[in-house]
Amino acid sequence: MTFEPFEAFSDVEDLAGKLRDPDPSVRRVAVMELADTADPEAVALVGGALKDGSAEVRLQAAIALGEFDGAETAACLVVGLVDDDPRVARAAADSLAELKDPVAADPVFPLVEHERPFVRAAALRALKELRRRESLAHGLRALDDPDAHVRIEAIGVIGYLKAEEALPALIASGKDEVPEVRRTAVGALAFARSSHAGEALMRALDDEDWSVREVAAEMLGKTGVTRAVAPLMARMDDRDWQVRVKVVRSLGQLHAVEAVPLIAAALGEEVSNLRKEAAAALGEIAHPSSRPYLERYADDPDPDVRKNVRWALGRIG
Amino acid sequence: MPLANTSTTVPVLVDEGKCIADKGCTVCVDVCPLDVLRISELTNKAYMKFDECWYCMPCEADCPTGAVTVNIPYLLK
Amino acid sequence: MDEIKDGLSEIECDVLVIGGGTAGPMAAYKAKMKNPDAKVVLLEKANVKRSGAISMGMDGLNNAVIPGHSTPEQYTKEITIANDGICDQAAVYKYAQHCYEIIEELDKFGIRFQKDENGDYDVKKVHHIGTYVLPMPNGETVKKALYRQLRRARILISNRFMATRLLKGRSGRIAGAVAVNTRTAEFLVVRAKSVIMSMGAAGRLGLPTSGYLYGTYENAANSGEGYAMAYHAGAKLANLECFQINPLIKDYNGPSCAYVAGPFGGFTANSRGERFIECDYWSGQMMQEFYNELLSGNGPVFLKLNHLHKETADHIEQILHTVERPSRGRFHEGRGTRYHETMIEMHISEIGFCSGHSASGVFVDDCARTTVPGLYAAGDMASVPHNYMLGAFTNGAFAGEDAVAFAGEVDFEDYDREEVAREQERVLAPTRREDGIPPNQIEYKARRLVNDYLQPPKVTRKYELGQARLAEVRDDMENHMVARDAHELMRAMEVTSILDCADMAAFASLYREESRWGLYHWRTDHPERNDEEWKCHVLLSKQDGRMTCEKHPVQPYIVPISEEEKDAYYKQRIKAEA
Repeated sequence: MTFEPFEAFSDVEDLAGKLRDPDPSVRRVAVMELADTADPEAVALVGGALKDGSAEVRLQAAIALGEFDGAETAACLVVGLVDDDPRVARAAADSLAELKDPVAADPVFPLVEHERPFVRAAALRALKELRRRESLAHGLRALDDPDAHVRIEAIGVIGYLKAEEALPALIASGKDEVPEVRRTAVGALAFARSSHAGEALMRALDDEDWSVREVAAEMLGKTGVTRAVAPLMARMDDRDWQVRVKVVRSLGQLHAVEAVPLIAAALGEEVSNLRKEAAAALGEIAHPSSRPYLERYADDPDPDVRKNVRWALGRIG
Repeated sequence: MPLANTSTTVPVLVDEGKCIADKGCTVCVDVCPLDVLRISELTNKAYMKFDECWYCMPCEADCPTGAVTVNIPYLLK
Repeated sequence: MDEIKDGLSEIECDVLVIGGGTAGPMAAYKAKMKNPDAKVVLLEKANVKRSGAISMGMDGLNNAVIPGHSTPEQYTKEITIANDGICDQAAVYKYAQHCYEIIEELDKFGIRFQKDENGDYDVKKVHHIGTYVLPMPNGETVKKALYRQLRRARILISNRFMATRLLKGRSGRIAGAVAVNTRTAEFLVVRAKSVIMSMGAAGRLGLPTSGYLYGTYENAANSGEGYAMAYHAGAKLANLECFQINPLIKDYNGPSCAYVAGPFGGFTANSRGERFIECDYWSGQMMQEFYNELLSGNGPVFLKLNHLHKETADHIEQILHTVERPSRGRFHEGRGTRYHETMIEMHISEIGFCSGHSASGVFVDDCARTTVPGLYAAGDMASVPHNYMLGAFTNGAFAGEDAVAFAGEVDFEDYDREEVAREQERVLAPTRREDGIPPNQIEYKARRLVNDYLQPPKVTRKYELGQARLAEVRDDMENHMVARDAHELMRAMEVTSILDCADMAAFASLYREESRWGLYHWRTDHPERNDEEWKCHVLLSKQDGRMTCEKHPVQPYIVPISEEEKDAYYKQRIKAEA
């Protein structure tokens, strides 16, 4: 026999025997070895280990299934997801989220209606990346879920599908009572070019939560909602500088000439991040009226501000 | 030029109660990029044999039973 | 385990890939995909599961050229400027054209990139000009996903074999490699029609300020074998005087992660909490500015996040403490430092070779071919500048595809059996001694000398002293080093690479009689950049057993850079301060 100094591709059948060992630690090691085979034949065996009497073995099996893909893997993980041991269920949820093959969605669909919110959220999280059109109806229904995590995952499913018909529902989620849900919904609106979506983003500029306002300000520039210039300008007095940074950035992206004096005023802000963004925005707008302001800050102590001022002045010409 | 044995405190600790190296597990030994862990012939449990650690953590992260702890080597902590 | 055994085996394959970190697995995978009948072997000193620079994960792509955000032309221009014009653009341009395909492929592998709420890549603008940063806040599964693909493709993986020398035939074509097992000291000769080297940076060259040999910026397993082996095989190495020096968290020596913190508004600040870096792109110029600030009255330098919302700072902390170097959370815990409360002290790294961050590497063309027929190089050890993780993947892919095609057209090259015997003797020499100096002491001394004499600013007289002292250490290494087991023998072999790299660093630095690349090649007795004489590559190689350097022209640019653009860049520059 020739010398074979290679990592073995262990025989799945041999490992099946180890899975019947009375010692749970030995079974656990067998599950890890099965995962390393990368052999689709191993899925059924690892899936079987999800019914092991030892929670440790089940945990290992739930982790191991993350190495495989397809409907059979998903069907196995669905068992793990409803495990009574929360560690097993969490691991199964993480492995489900690793699935890439769209057919893996089929065994997952029924779980969207499961009685436990954790299971519903995990199922939606898995469906998001698989991008099946059938997921849309599930996502829409789940927007009314009593659990906020489920609602967030539902927005994810809809957002990834970029479904125009779901816009009214997404807009409604922008009024959710939980800030994180509102933030996710506002972020998910970015694909839409309808006026309703734009209005929802503008409304979100007045959200009580800073992080929602921040995302809204960012999205308005990214999606090019020119009507947003006035409400964005009104946000230049936001008490939170991280929001003001995004407002300035978006006003630049929207080439808001009317905002030049307001942006120029931000060149005097204390936080250098904001001064830098203001100079960059003035450069993007490149209106001659900003020249005197920019020249005044050509010697700003912050090099990034100076650099952007130089760039802006160059653009104005 | 005779050799001496100089003592050193090692950053990687293994909880022998949790370690299942005696059941055939070699995960931490396998994943170490510097190859500094070994299974003890005395206890059949994993331990740090060489103080040559990049404190990168695969041994801790990949251990199935949570038996391994990586500390920051004393000289830089 | 670890006791030394006698043994020599030989295997054959079409494509041998040495190094299973980032570029290597991709090269092996692409070779196998292109020709499923080819026998592809991936050799790794550690274990492919967790080896290389991205052992634990990676928290972002620094140089993603994604349609709609940046263009290959723009990227090529920036890299050319960041490298002070010393750049063969073909390889950079080709990378920029193809790296998006690679991102999409990696995404399918299960490597996680940041996406927005609509599932599109969430690319961030960090630099002044282009937009290249794609965060990976959940990028801790990179190696796992790669390993899964290797297993599915049935690549033959050979772990715990450390390659020590390449084998060439009489025609000068590659014939394979010699490797030694790191746990038994048994030898393996791999005959191969083509060989891809992807062995990482020379990251154990300088000594970290902590004095801990393994507390390096790079994965400490990356001790420069690739550079040493390429040198001894007669391949040319480019611009080794363009050192790698990186900003880092002081003492912890992990990356400062300005790319992670930047999109959130975090930045590198001086002791007054103010920005001081003028330079746009990560470069030696940026490091010069960093160095100057460290030594000025405004120093030291800090990572500043404490002006951000606590939630934002905590979020950054969470990413930095879970993805690329997760033990930094433990480090900060020990120091009692929280990002939202206080600025975090930074420093600069020890020196090394690494094209991932700078430009020093085995000289390759746009297909990852070295100057030795059939020999390829990719990743941190190949000369494509600033290629980072995505460059390792992309250039690894180019190497794999070209190498498997090459292997399809040639037969095995014969090698000299005597050469293998001599190599065995060289490797095993430290095990034949009863007594002597252990590798760790030789290593400590060599690396301490690197810090004392080779670290910039580069002073000619100091370099000459350094060379003399390193020669003394080499004599000790060759005649007195002792290894008591197979593990120590691996360390002993690493020391030989470290010393080879130190010699090359000194030699190349003395050859280029000008200053260039900011701190990376700041020669106090030649303080000016001299485009007339030195706007060229410096290629180092072994000829007739001796180290030599030559000038090599930069290939005509594909993407032209106007004088104006160059001027605008140089005007921003801060001079070296002695």
